[in-house]
Amino acid sequence: MPGLRRLYAPQRARVRTDSAGTPLEVDAVAVEAVREEWLVEDRWWTPKPLRRHYFELVMADGRALTVFRLAGAQRWYRQRA
Amino acid sequence: MEIACVIDERLAISACPGRSGGPRPGRAELPDPVEAAAASEAMVRALEGIGAAVESERTGEAFFALDGMRGLYGGSSRGVLEAARRGVGNGVLLAAGPTRLAAYLTAAKWPRPAPIGALRTRLGAPEREAEELVGALERLGVETLAALARLSADQVADRFGPLGLRALRLCRGEEEPLRPRVPHEDLLEEIELPEGTAGHQLDRALELLVDRLLAAPQRLGRTLLGLRLGALLAGGGSWSVEQGLGRPSASARVLRNVLLPRLGDLPGPASALSLRALGFGPPASDQLELSVGGEEPRRRRLGAAVREVRAAQGAEALLKILPVEAASRVPERWALLTPYPELL
Repeated sequence: MPGLRRLYAPQRARVRTDSAGTPLEVDAVAVEAVREEWLVEDRWWTPKPLRRHYFELVMADGRALTVFRLAGAQRWYRQRA
Repeated sequence: MEIACVIDERLAISACPGRSGGPRPGRAELPDPVEAAAASEAMVRALEGIGAAVESERTGEAFFALDGMRGLYGGSSRGVLEAARRGVGNGVLLAAGPTRLAAYLTAAKWPRPAPIGALRTRLGAPEREAEELVGALERLGVETLAALARLSADQVADRFGPLGLRALRLCRGEEEPLRPRVPHEDLLEEIELPEGTAGHQLDRALELLVDRLLAAPQRLGRTLLGLRLGALLAGGGSWSVEQGLGRPSASARVLRNVLLPRLGDLPGPASALSLRALGFGPPASDQLELSVGGEEPRRRRLGAAVREVRAAQGAEALLKILPVEAASRVPERWALLTPYPELL
């Protein structure tokens, strides 16, 4: 939508993970705990299906952060959710 | 008097045998009616851009008088036509004549002597009535425009009535003066929808469009006289409807109230929605107040503040959060930032 601004738009994030794909570090800040994780699958009926693996994290600096990884890609995003 | 005729064959429905053109079933390579109207509008604007006062009552077809323009383009009709050609591009037919009909016959490359069938689209009558008249003339052996022009008005009036007389006058070169449109500014807002959207989400999208249209700096505080609501359909094709406002308005509430019911006519889910202003009225401050009281003074002060901030900082300076899909599992679809509506 040209000229429109979306709220809560995802922002790229640098995430280091363990072998199971669980975030260990987000933008060089360590992850203290994973509070929750869930999978979102949407628009599967369109040519651009959406599949995201979300993690709600507690960071070492005390912040709560939600990140997701696009299924099939190693790109991570942070998002207020 | 010399009149130029410009025809974009991709858009105009041709009545000339052996020539094709125009949006019609089975011609998938042609734009749909809404796209054709937009392309036709672009053509008319290009002509207005060279200084022509353009009459265009059919998609893909335009007329303008060359008189008065020659001085701008080398003193000759040819200079004007070349300027028009440069303006509209090479894909169009262009010719001049002493009347609209003569210019049209030349531009559309009708054979000479022109057959009576050339009148089908020139009479300004419903297709069926024009077809009946042309058919009747052909059956009576009046096969060319020249043959019709030789008949007396009494004979034609007796047999064919007012439409026949109109045809006769056209063939004799008697036409009403051109009725050029008043060139207008284009104020259009569009929204692409994420996928086939219908129902409540469309209402939200329309609300957003109205806000953006009213916040557009080109509006210059003027009221609107009419709107064209259009949609690209998710299943292919497009749809549009024109809506007058009854009285000039720049109230988001009024615009929404008249447009929302029209969404019910949409034949299917939409992938894009557009809203175009069809005319401007006086500035909003010139309108009469219907009622004053209650929250009105506060609302007016707020409206003035909104306009002031917007004038100083731009249309995007004041935004509001518009809920779009609160139930979506994808957070970025929950809400959009949209221009704060102008309060009146």
